[in-house]
Amino acid sequence: MSESAIITTNDVNLWYNGKRALDSVSMSIPKNKVTALIGPSGCGKSTLLRCFNRLNDLIDHVKITGEITLDDENIHALGTDVVMLRKKVGMVFQKPNPFPKSIYENVAYGPRVHGVKDKAELDKIVEQSLRHAAIWDEVKDRLNDSALGLSGGQQQRLCIARTLAVEPEVILMDEPCSALDPIATAKIENLIELLKQDYTVIIVTHNMQQAARVSDYTGFMYLGKLIECGKTVQIFEHPKEELTENYITGRFG
Amino acid sequence: MAEKFHTELKNLKAETLEMAHLGRFMLRTAVDALIRQDNELAVSVVAKKEEIHTMEVRLEEHCYHLIALNQPMAKDMRVIACTLKVITASLRIGRYGKVIANIVKKISDQPHIANLMTIPHMADLVIEMIDDAIEAYEKDSIEEISDFSARDDTIDSLRESIFREGITYMMEDLKSITRCTNYILVARYLERCADHACKIAENVHYMETGERIEIH
Repeated sequence: MSESAIITTNDVNLWYNGKRALDSVSMSIPKNKVTALIGPSGCGKSTLLRCFNRLNDLIDHVKITGEITLDDENIHALGTDVVMLRKKVGMVFQKPNPFPKSIYENVAYGPRVHGVKDKAELDKIVEQSLRHAAIWDEVKDRLNDSALGLSGGQQQRLCIARTLAVEPEVILMDEPCSALDPIATAKIENLIELLKQDYTVIIVTHNMQQAARVSDYTGFMYLGKLIECGKTVQIFEHPKEELTENYITGRFG
Repeated sequence: MAEKFHTELKNLKAETLEMAHLGRFMLRTAVDALIRQDNELAVSVVAKKEEIHTMEVRLEEHCYHLIALNQPMAKDMRVIACTLKVITASLRIGRYGKVIANIVKKISDQPHIANLMTIPHMADLVIEMIDDAIEAYEKDSIEEISDFSARDDTIDSLRESIFREGITYMMEDLKSITRCTNYILVARYLERCADHACKIAENVHYMETGERIEIH
């Protein structure tokens, strides 16, 4: 990839309880682009995604080797502040998971944890984040209502707003639309297109059409290996590897 | 779902091959009618016009349905892209057959000039190219089309030579003008049919490799 890379992985291997889940993954994630990771269930795409903000650290008996850099700094280096790393690399999960709090509090929570106390500043961050996540107009009159009263699609955009509130550089999305209907999905996809102006997005998706629609680069993974990674149009028009071809044309997976 | 789609894709290809053979048949029969001055044969070619047009519409619709319902990717997408081009090229080849058949109807009552010059030979070469292009599409192979550039050059030279020969006969004998003009037109149509065979070849190459080439 010729674009400047924000994240690179070099020969990354990962084992859960001795079972290998990632096998020598080397790739670079270009800045301000959308990179999609596709592959059959269990191929390691979510595991790889969770490596980028060290979310796998929370799981017992995980062993990781190889190097992952963010802005040229090794994220596993001694002294790395994992909280700061997760601030820089935010995450949106498959199922919308708002806190059982108000819409406002959901977005203000992160900045508060990071030390923002001034109400006016919090108000500004909340509005900006909700605007960025394309949900402001829908919730501006009910910021104090419970986030759990929002629809699934709105909850997911609220979760994106919550991620944006701590000003990340990278947003990881793990199947962000799989629990949403087509209209809510379209809204999230439009949002991803807008987000890449300011952020780098890495999205894991089962839906190949979605990967083709939203991403600039696509990586295809199989049995823990990154089989092929390249521009999305190349991967979906003429993949170089037969495995990729067979997967995206539905011959397996 | 993928299995159902791939079965449908196979059926689409089989039906497109039928259409390609019909286009080729119309051209071959029209040239035979010209050689044999067989008016009835020419009429039978013209009668195929509706059939090939109906096939074009039906097969194109089939392609669009497959795209809309399955969002094909990679080779599957390239097969449909290539198929759409094969459909168009086959229609054009068939239509040139019809146009040549109409010429036969006009000039079949007069004797040939110089045994139709090199038209029969040129037609054989063009139809061989069409056969090879269709075979390449059918077998997902680019072997048959590897020498198309050189073969297309030969066709261009033959058209040029028929043009010159025709002009010579026309200058010698004014009564030959109608027939020679029509021979020149037939040569031009055959050359266009070779170009359509090249178009099929280019698209089969894309279908097979994902790379675009241009056959001059």
